[in-house]
Amino acid sequence: MSRVIAFCFLLLASVLGYLHIDSRPVWAPFASNYSINHVNQFDDSSELSGGAKQSKVLKSATSVKPAQPSLRTDWLPDTGAPSVHAASLIALKDGAVRAFWFAGSREGAPDVVINTSVFDTQASRWSVPTVVVDRVSAEKGLSRYIAKLGNPVPARMADGRMQLFFVTVSIGGWAGSSISSMISDDEGLTWDRPQRLISSPLINLSTLVKSPAMAFIDGRLGLPAYHEWIGRFGELLRVDASQVIDKRRMSSGRDAIQPVVFTNGPQEAEAFFRQTRPSSQPKQIPVSETKDAGQTWAVTKDLEIPNPNSALAALTLANGTRLMVLNNIEAARYRLVMVMREPRSPQWRVVQVLEDDESLLNDQHREFSYPYLISANGDDAHLTYTWNRTKIKHVYFPATWFKYAVSSLQAKEAQ
Amino acid sequence: MMTPYLQLIALLEMSLTCAVVLIILSQKLSSREIPFVVRLVAVALLVNLFFWPLGMSLELPLSAYVRGVTGEFSIVTMLLLWSSILPAAKKTSLGFKVPVALIAIAFYPLALGLGMLDPYAWGYGSIGLLTATIFFAIVCGLAGWTKCVWILSFAIITWAVHWHESANLWDYLLDPFLAIWALLAIPNAIYQKRRERA
Repeated sequence: MSRVIAFCFLLLASVLGYLHIDSRPVWAPFASNYSINHVNQFDDSSELSGGAKQSKVLKSATSVKPAQPSLRTDWLPDTGAPSVHAASLIALKDGAVRAFWFAGSREGAPDVVINTSVFDTQASRWSVPTVVVDRVSAEKGLSRYIAKLGNPVPARMADGRMQLFFVTVSIGGWAGSSISSMISDDEGLTWDRPQRLISSPLINLSTLVKSPAMAFIDGRLGLPAYHEWIGRFGELLRVDASQVIDKRRMSSGRDAIQPVVFTNGPQEAEAFFRQTRPSSQPKQIPVSETKDAGQTWAVTKDLEIPNPNSALAALTLANGTRLMVLNNIEAARYRLVMVMREPRSPQWRVVQVLEDDESLLNDQHREFSYPYLISANGDDAHLTYTWNRTKIKHVYFPATWFKYAVSSLQAKEAQ
Repeated sequence: MMTPYLQLIALLEMSLTCAVVLIILSQKLSSREIPFVVRLVAVALLVNLFFWPLGMSLELPLSAYVRGVTGEFSIVTMLLLWSSILPAAKKTSLGFKVPVALIAIAFYPLALGLGMLDPYAWGYGSIGLLTATIFFAIVCGLAGWTKCVWILSFAIITWAVHWHESANLWDYLLDPFLAIWALLAIPNAIYQKRRERA
C-alpha cells in the first residue's frame, strides 16, 4: 500500500515537473545592439570623408591634413584605496555614464568594496564616489558567509531597471567565485537585496563575470560568464531577473576565459576570449561562433592578434563599426591599444595606442588592463581601464574622433 | 514562487542539516543507541543554535557560515540525512548508491568543462533528464526501496516550485557531498563483503 501511495506521489511530481518545463520560455534570438542599426559605415561622415579626400588632394600640393579630434581623458575619483580594479560602465537614461569598480587595500582583501560614480557628460566631471556594496552587506543580503568581492558588471533590463552583477568569493581565491546580482529602480542610487545566481553544480563554485551582458529579443539577458578552476572556459548564461534559466558552453578545456560577444544578427554572434593557454601554445585571441542565437557554440580559428592572458573590451557602434581595446603583446600588459574593424572589412586595425610603456618599475612593467567599453549614444565611446592597479583611467572618444579615424584608415588604404 | 522565503528556507534547512549531521556523528562516537526522544530534543536545540544570530563578533547565524562554504545541499542529500535519524531508518541500499556514484563520475568532469557537452545545462528544462529521474524512481520503487520514490518525488516538486535559488534540476538531485558519499560506499561495501567472507 505504501508503495502505491509513493507512486501516486511520483505521478503528481511528474505532472508538476512537466508543467514546469512546459512553462519555461523558449530560447529567443539576439536583440540588435541599437534600435536603429545603420549598416552603412558613417553615412553622415561623407563630409569628413570628402574632407579627407580633399585633404589628400591638398596633401599632394600643400601637405595640409584635417586636425584629429582630441580624446578626453580623466581619472575615476580617488577613494583613497591603494588598489582599484575592474571598472565597468553603463549609460544612464539622462545621458550621463555611471561607473562601477572595486577598491580596497589589495585585490581580494576583505575590505574591498564596490564603488560607483556618475560622469556628467556636459560638465565632464565625476561625482563623489559612493559604496554600492561591501563584504558585510553582501553576506547579510545573501544570507551566507562572503570573504571578498570582485568584478562588477552593470546591465540594463528590458523594463528599464538597472542590474548589477558582481562576483563574490566565500572560500579560496577567484576560482571559488560565484555571481550575485542586485537591481536598482533609480539608476543606481539605491539597490535591492542581492541575490545569488546558481550556475555551477560543484557548490556553485567558479563562475565569474567581466563582460557586458547582451539582450535577447524577449527582454531577457545573456550574460557572458566564465569558469576558471578545474576548467577555464566561457559560458553564456541566460538570465531572467536574478535567476539563471539556461546556460550554454562557449568553449571548453583550460584555454579561454572572459568572453566578449559581437552579435552579427538575430542568430549569429562571435565571441572573443582572453587566452589562458600553456606557454607552448599560441598567445592569440581564441574565438567561438554561434549560428543559433547562442544555443550552440563552436570554437573556430584564432583571431591573429597577440594576447598576453589579459581581458579585452568590445563594442559595436550604431553604424556597425566594431571596436576592441586590448593588450596586443604576448607577455605583460604594458601596451594597450584600440583596434577597429569596419562593417565590411575582415581586418582589425590599430586606431589608437592608449598606453605603451616598456619601462620597468621595481623590475616590473606597469599594467594597463581590464578595459571596458560602452557607447552612450551609439556613435561615441567611453573607455575605462585599470592603470597600474592604482587608478582607473577614463577615455572619451567623441563621434568625430571615429569619423576621423575611419577616414584616416581609408586615406591610408587609398595611398 | 518561493522567492520571498528563499533565504529563510535555506537557513532553516541548513540549520536542520547541521543539527542532524552532529547527531549522526554523536551516534557514531557513542557505543549506545541514542534514544529517539533524546535525538529529537537535541535536534531542536541545535537547529536553534545554528539558525539564530549569536551576536558577539559573528555577523551571521552559524548556518550562514556553513552555507557559505558548502553551498546549498540537494533535496536528495537533505532528505537522506534527515530521515536517517528517524526510529525506523534503514541503511541506504547499494542499488541506489552505485548508480549515483556512476552518474557522478560521468557528470562532474563534463559539467566542469571537459568538452563542449554540458549535462548540467539539461537540468534547466530537459524533458529527457526529468524522464530519466522518474524512470530511476520507478525502478527504485519496483525494487522495493519506496523511500527513494518519495525522495525523488520531493526533489522534482521542490524544483518545479523553485524551492531553492537554483532553477536547475541537478541541484535538487545531486551535490558533491552525495556523490562522495556514494563513491565511498562502493569500496566500503567491497571491504565489508571481504570481511564477511573471511
